Amino acid sequence: MNKPANLPISTLLIGAVVAVAVVVAAVAVWAIRPHGELGSGLPGTFGYSVEEFTDVPAEWLRWREVSSIPVDLAQPRALAVGAEGTMYVAGDRAVLAFSPDGGVLERIELDAEPRRLAIAGEDHARPGRMYVVFDRHVEVYQPDGTREASWPAFDERAALTGIALGGDDVFLADAGRRVVLRCDLDGNVVGEIGRRDEQRGIFGFVIPSPYFDVALGADGLLRVVNPGRHRIEYYTADGYFEQPLTWGRPGVAIDGFCGCCNPASIALLPDGRTVTSEKGIPRVKVYTEQGDLQSVVAGPADLAPDAAALVETRTDYRLRPPMVAADSGGRVLVLDAALGAVRVFEEME
Amino acid sequence: MSNSRPTGSRLDRRTFLGDVVRGAGVVGLGGGAAALAAARGQRRELVWQIDPHACIACGNCATYCVLDESAVKCVHSYGMCGYCELCTGFFEAEPLALDTGAENQLCPTGAIIREFIEEPYYEYHIDESLCIGCGKCVKGCSAFGNASLYLQVIHDRCENCNECAIAVACPSEAFRRVPADRPYLLKHQDPDA
Repeated sequence: MNKPANLPISTLLIGAVVAVAVVVAAVAVWAIRPHGELGSGLPGTFGYSVEEFTDVPAEWLRWREVSSIPVDLAQPRALAVGAEGTMYVAGDRAVLAFSPDGGVLERIELDAEPRRLAIAGEDHARPGRMYVVFDRHVEVYQPDGTREASWPAFDERAALTGIALGGDDVFLADAGRRVVLRCDLDGNVVGEIGRRDEQRGIFGFVIPSPYFDVALGADGLLRVVNPGRHRIEYYTADGYFEQPLTWGRPGVAIDGFCGCCNPASIALLPDGRTVTSEKGIPRVKVYTEQGDLQSVVAGPADLAPDAAALVETRTDYRLRPPMVAADSGGRVLVLDAALGAVRVFEEME
Repeated sequence: MSNSRPTGSRLDRRTFLGDVVRGAGVVGLGGGAAALAAARGQRRELVWQIDPHACIACGNCATYCVLDESAVKCVHSYGMCGYCELCTGFFEAEPLALDTGAENQLCPTGAIIREFIEEPYYEYHIDESLCIGCGKCVKGCSAFGNASLYLQVIHDRCENCNECAIAVACPSEAFRRVPADRPYLLKHQDPDA
């Protein structure tokens, strides 16, 4: 029978010291906080939170999410719906086309980062045309994805942030110059809408940040967001301000538009209702043609990863406002940049 | 055989000239190294600053500074500001009215001054003597607006401690050492803000 060898005392001591050192090192690594402490010790009055405004009363939630289509773009920025429900998402330096079931149909590479896009419907002189809006210019693509034209860049102060199509017109919302440009099919500017003119009762658009959207209704009237005044204004294609139709008010309450400037994006449902999306407290809502809140499609609980994201100060982590579109079937499409997906909502019975 | 240097006027002169050249080289090298070291020393003069793109406005700047009144203050990038009537850095999220009543102001110390420019635009200034660097307005401005309000270490107040107490406490590691001749990290326009 083998007798266990006696280890020298020095070996045992060295082993014990090494074991203790390993334990101490492990505890130190676990205990040391390399990132400082959260908690300034300031009273609550110095804290900032919007959590109390994020609850959406259940009676307003009348839409359900029916699908979510992942978008392979680092910075998806724009969303549009074409014929037969084809969805288009623009971002990075590309436009992706998706079938209604989410399959990628096409990827069109671009030379610069797009801001917005629109697909011409049957009410436009060139159905199927795709207009891709960049900071200062517009590119036109044929339905097969080939580039048909690149319009000359607008004034260097231009910052194009919205587009609407109808008849022979292309309406471009220019946040830089605070007007809506009326262009013909070749990109020639044939009119300006909304420039401050107190004689005509037009007090101008207030646009603190580059979110300035426009939509064209079946009634031929333009719906233009006046974000700094928190309202939707109506104009004819010739630039007449239909002041009595204006609606919208500021406020964090569910029926208002929150923050300094909202809504960030709008779309029209086939029945004329307006879909709005807001930044700050992200929420997508539906208003009647008279401007009364009708329902909420998605609230902060759906659109913000967590409450801290609502008051994020770091540029790279701040929430981008959801972009909205509506298809011919009355579904609301939400481009959720935080999730990297197009989320499709259907109204509940 | 002797190893002593040969004597003679011709060899002495050569030796002398060689020594002079070597000496001049050594002095030149030494001087160059000293100048380089001095220049490097000047470049190494660093001060503390907050990277505004990393700051989370947690409030630690107000309480961890070793000074009685923090050296960190809010600053304003006027080029980024929207000059909003309803400024979310100035007003509470749901103000009772858009006026300068204390109950409507977000800043607990009333350090933001609101000035009418023209309908409907307002300019906002920071009263540095009142600002404690809590960052509450920074959060309000970032949440809804253009994030034109942000925090910076003000260098006529900062003691430039070797180990900045706020930097140690900063949870987002936003404190940096920056060259003293460029002591501020200014914000520029966020294309989506």
